[in-house]
Amino acid sequence: MTDRILEHKILGKKEQKLVPFKWNGKTYYGAEGESITAALLANDIRTLRYHEKDGSGRGLYCNIGHCSECRVTVEGKRNQRACLTPIYKNMEIEQQTELPHLIKGGRPHESL
Amino acid sequence: MNHFDTIIIGAGPAGMTAGQVLQDSQNILIIDEYYHYGGRLLGQLYEETKGKWWNGIEIAQKLYSDISEKVSFKLGTSVYNVEHRNQGFDVYTTSGHFQSNYLIVSTGGKEKSTPLPGWDLPGVMTVGAAQVLTNFQRVKPGNKGVIIGINPLSMVIALELGYAYIDVAKICLPPNNLINEAAPKRALETLISLGNSAPSKFLSFGSKMAEKVTPLQQLALQLFPKKGVHALGLPISIKERVMKINGQHKVESVTIQKTNALGEIIEGTEKEIECDFVCISDGLSPVNEVTSLLDLKHVYIEALGGYVPLHHETMKTEIENLYVAGNITGIENAKIAMLQGRLAANQIIKNNISSKEILEAIAYERQHAKVTFHKDLLQGRNTLQSMWMQHS
Repeated sequence: MTDRILEHKILGKKEQKLVPFKWNGKTYYGAEGESITAALLANDIRTLRYHEKDGSGRGLYCNIGHCSECRVTVEGKRNQRACLTPIYKNMEIEQQTELPHLIKGGRPHESL
Repeated sequence: MNHFDTIIIGAGPAGMTAGQVLQDSQNILIIDEYYHYGGRLLGQLYEETKGKWWNGIEIAQKLYSDISEKVSFKLGTSVYNVEHRNQGFDVYTTSGHFQSNYLIVSTGGKEKSTPLPGWDLPGVMTVGAAQVLTNFQRVKPGNKGVIIGINPLSMVIALELGYAYIDVAKICLPPNNLINEAAPKRALETLISLGNSAPSKFLSFGSKMAEKVTPLQQLALQLFPKKGVHALGLPISIKERVMKINGQHKVESVTIQKTNALGEIIEGTEKEIECDFVCISDGLSPVNEVTSLLDLKHVYIEALGGYVPLHHETMKTEIENLYVAGNITGIENAKIAMLQGRLAANQIIKNNISSKEILEAIAYERQHAKVTFHKDLLQGRNTLQSMWMQHS
């Protein structure tokens, strides 16, 4: 379980205003204005996406917009970098999954 | 209005100081991809001298508060193309198309990463990612981490994790491969340069570092305990390598192996260390995507972190009215970046007196820097300067 760091030896206390948001249709709470990566991690969610090709899990990697590993669907818009996107009240975020294979088939995803 | 005197790409230490200087006489736009100003200042936290802290978040806030409301900021905005025509610039962004007479590119640096088995598991991240989470976002990257890579950045961030009560189980080397030649000798040089374990000494790496391992240190290398040492409360191990990262759906452990003084693996010494996150630290390199869009020569200089746009020490480039500042010019600390931003801006408003003073301040800071990322930095800067002279 990961936690928020409300007390800090050097930086002191931090007050955060929590707001609800939806991840795969389920309600969680995050600090208003923090990145989606931070809000999900504070809820112990590390797998942000399943790889388009082989379906293996991916999490945040660089957390500053360079690596694009953290892509999620925000309000129906695909491939938004979670680390660069601040959350707001009632934001709807969906996880992206493995793409269906032309020959082998595969599970369809509603956001496609 | 979409036309500005100057557009600044990057709201980090370099871009914001440039904005401060220009705001009185010019109409400017500052663009950044991140949702908050400050760039990588946002994660920085270390003790410069006893009791005196470098707190990046506070510095970013100060820089921002010194910028007037009439300055346009576009945060959360990506630049996807830049064109140079008729001595002006067209900047295409996710928030629209803007034009300017002058352009300052201060896009900063990024972390390099050498892959190893398991590095794509959720829970593996760069040390910089852990730093932003811990100090800026105030969310723990995990409860117990292993850091792969012994260098100034990884050591400083390991300390920062400690300030937030996050357990670091091990700091050791990556596996050896064609691209990553990290070896115990180099790691020992880093540790020696860190001195007598005062946190400030901890950062005095680089230019002041021992050039070579002396015979006595060679002995130290032989005798360095295979299970590592505890320095500043950090479990540092120069004779262990993380060979792979394990886990079903997320990080559960790493497998380490012991090495001899040359860094060669000792068979049969595999050991698993449980952890829930792993940080890979492999140094920094300049972010040059924007300048690469222009007809601009870039040169590779190892001591500066990689490819940098060819530029003069006053921050001007081959293209008239195009300036660079900060880590795009070479990996250095935030104080240098701030001076470079100020210098670029003073060049634009043709303030030669200030420019001269800033050049002197940069030279002084390079000599006395607490944080230096490469021991040959000064040499690298000289190489760049002579390349500029030859080219122009």
